[in-house]
Amino acid sequence: MSAPVRPAISYARLLETNQLIQACGDSTYWLCLTRTVQGSKLYPVSAYILLSYLNAFYRYPSLIRKVEAVMPAEAIADRARQMGVKAQNSSIGWALPCFYLLGREYLINLGFLRPQDALDDVITVMDFWKRFQLAWHRNDGHLTNADYNQRAQILPHAAVQRFAGELHPVVPGDALSVAAQRFLATVSQYGFLVSAESRISLTNSGPYRLDDDRQLLMRDFMDLGETSLPWLDDIAADMPYNNLTVAMAVTGCHFHLVDDWGSFEATPEFTPDRLTGIGLYTSDTLSEGHQPVGMDSPATLAAMLHDLSDRAKAATDRLWLRMAGWRRDQLIDAGALCYYAICKEIAHIAGVFDPADWLEIDPRAERFRPLLSDDYADQALGELVGSLTLPSQQTAPHGLMKWSDKPTRVLTPLPLSVLNGAPYLPRVAPPQKGGSHLPPKNDRYRTTRGVLSLAAYNEAARAFVPAACQPAANFRCETTLAYPGALA
Amino acid sequence: MSLLPTDNGLWGGEPDSPLVAAVHLSVRDLVRRRLAESGLDWEAFVAGPIDRCITAPDLAAIDAAILATGHRYAFSATISAVERPEAYQGLAALDGGFAHPDAPTAPPDAEGKSLCGAGDNVVQAAADIEGIARYVRSAAQVIALMESGVPAGSIAIIDDSGGTLTAPILDRFAGLVCAGGTVRSHLGILAREHGIACLMNVRLAGVQDGDRIRLETSAAARTAESYLTGTDMPARIWKLP
Repeated sequence: MSAPVRPAISYARLLETNQLIQACGDSTYWLCLTRTVQGSKLYPVSAYILLSYLNAFYRYPSLIRKVEAVMPAEAIADRARQMGVKAQNSSIGWALPCFYLLGREYLINLGFLRPQDALDDVITVMDFWKRFQLAWHRNDGHLTNADYNQRAQILPHAAVQRFAGELHPVVPGDALSVAAQRFLATVSQYGFLVSAESRISLTNSGPYRLDDDRQLLMRDFMDLGETSLPWLDDIAADMPYNNLTVAMAVTGCHFHLVDDWGSFEATPEFTPDRLTGIGLYTSDTLSEGHQPVGMDSPATLAAMLHDLSDRAKAATDRLWLRMAGWRRDQLIDAGALCYYAICKEIAHIAGVFDPADWLEIDPRAERFRPLLSDDYADQALGELVGSLTLPSQQTAPHGLMKWSDKPTRVLTPLPLSVLNGAPYLPRVAPPQKGGSHLPPKNDRYRTTRGVLSLAAYNEAARAFVPAACQPAANFRCETTLAYPGALA
Repeated sequence: MSLLPTDNGLWGGEPDSPLVAAVHLSVRDLVRRRLAESGLDWEAFVAGPIDRCITAPDLAAIDAAILATGHRYAFSATISAVERPEAYQGLAALDGGFAHPDAPTAPPDAEGKSLCGAGDNVVQAAADIEGIARYVRSAAQVIALMESGVPAGSIAIIDDSGGTLTAPILDRFAGLVCAGGTVRSHLGILAREHGIACLMNVRLAGVQDGDRIRLETSAAARTAESYLTGTDMPARIWKLP
């Protein structure tokens, strides 16, 4: 597939890009205000987040162009919908555009950019994001979960029917219930550690209505194995799956919120006794959709969940001891690279993953490291995404920002005066040779086809088109299926 | 001195934080100087030279200048203060129990229990829980508990709202009391997954390691709406006789 021709800069293009930027800003503010306050005695979290934003700003546009030279955004999203890999929320739905735009905003405040600089890059990132999101959300017809009143009905009806039909019933207190609760907690704990004190190794989507009293929530755990995060080399060698998807039927509560970070809220609270059905699957770039894991019977599934919990717990202890021995620069690199590479799956899907692209800090970002004390980073990040008190975030005094009612904004729009000939830098330079304080990634990539070298993994990804993504199948959409006499 | 194109913005002032303002003003001054030294206009400067003539040593000099004023950074990750004790406020802040000035307190009541704090309840339970307070504030303490085991009935008192510092031992506690975060912070999420009683965003005073405490986990769980509106929903903590 060839990359789509990107439209030239026009009034309409700038208006659309600015709308997308504003939507990202509104979403960022709401998510940061209501969803979380993070802190860690182990990880310098704010410092690594700011470094990741800078790395994203300098590198994402070039890497997106590299990916799209092989596969367009909408085709990547179609692939992603067939599997539980890390190409959904929060990775693409929020982080890809917002990490990039927050890096831009930060640099505007440091005097490194004008709002119109890197204009072509901004359009590239936002256009990619829009097309990905449209395809990813094609079954619910929204651009983001926020647009859909905080829900994500990504799956087509047939997939929901399949997952619902394969669920094993869970009775509170029975063997499968105990195993499921232990698995969900243990692997969540492991995921937070894998992703350096972030939630980006797990996400939730849905809910899907099963009947008046039951809903289906899909939870994905990602980057569990010895695949593309170098700090899992050896540590996670015996994790048999890199991605796991858990289908959960929940009775007696309504998931009123599944946000663009993949977090959920339910009314009443989703407690373990409300889990009444469960299924377990794995998938990746090379699989024909979701493959059942331990699903032969409730007993085999319970045994599988305990086995995976044991492995995740052992890996947690090993990984924690490794991380507890790291220097600050190593902790910052792990966090920054984990954040920055949150959307690396697009390169895996396209078969162009390269550790030099995704696992290095660009020198243009690296130079800022000496500034990133805990104190400064905590306060600067707080102003950037919380209090919105950086100079670029102030607007005319009549302003009433969505959610805050203050004359502020998170992200600066593109200035329309470029259409009158105002000068601008179209693009920043391509990625420069970077580095990391961590050991390099080994050449072992855990996939559904076994452990592959990177070359073999990329080659297999480029050669593979899942049956569901063959054009005839891919375009048999929900509307087509609803009118078999007219369209099928 | 040349002005930067983004100087004198119509609506912007300076960052709220004096530290952020000091850093940003210093960086912007550096960019101004390098732009002037280059003799280039902005278009030419931003197209390449800005990436070569503003370096890590330049930015390290700004950090050094801030420290030269006598400012010492507050640390969030312990490693930061361990590696640069000359740049950070002391690790002594991790010694002893919490003494938050805004902790709600009251003298012992008829049962002998005294109010010593409050926080945000993660999940509403049918009843309150009681246990032995055990501060966990460093990796060394975690390693010690990995080796010795967490005593049954322990309630961890921690200031880390993340899920990493206590990752190897979190599931062994009967309850969690966290001085930071919200009910949606990583620690709150994990507490819910593990089914462990947990109060976040706690203000606490007068509780020492080994004290017996009660958490009001029967209180309503704090909602997203309450954070948005700033409505407090306190779940109390008592020190027991």
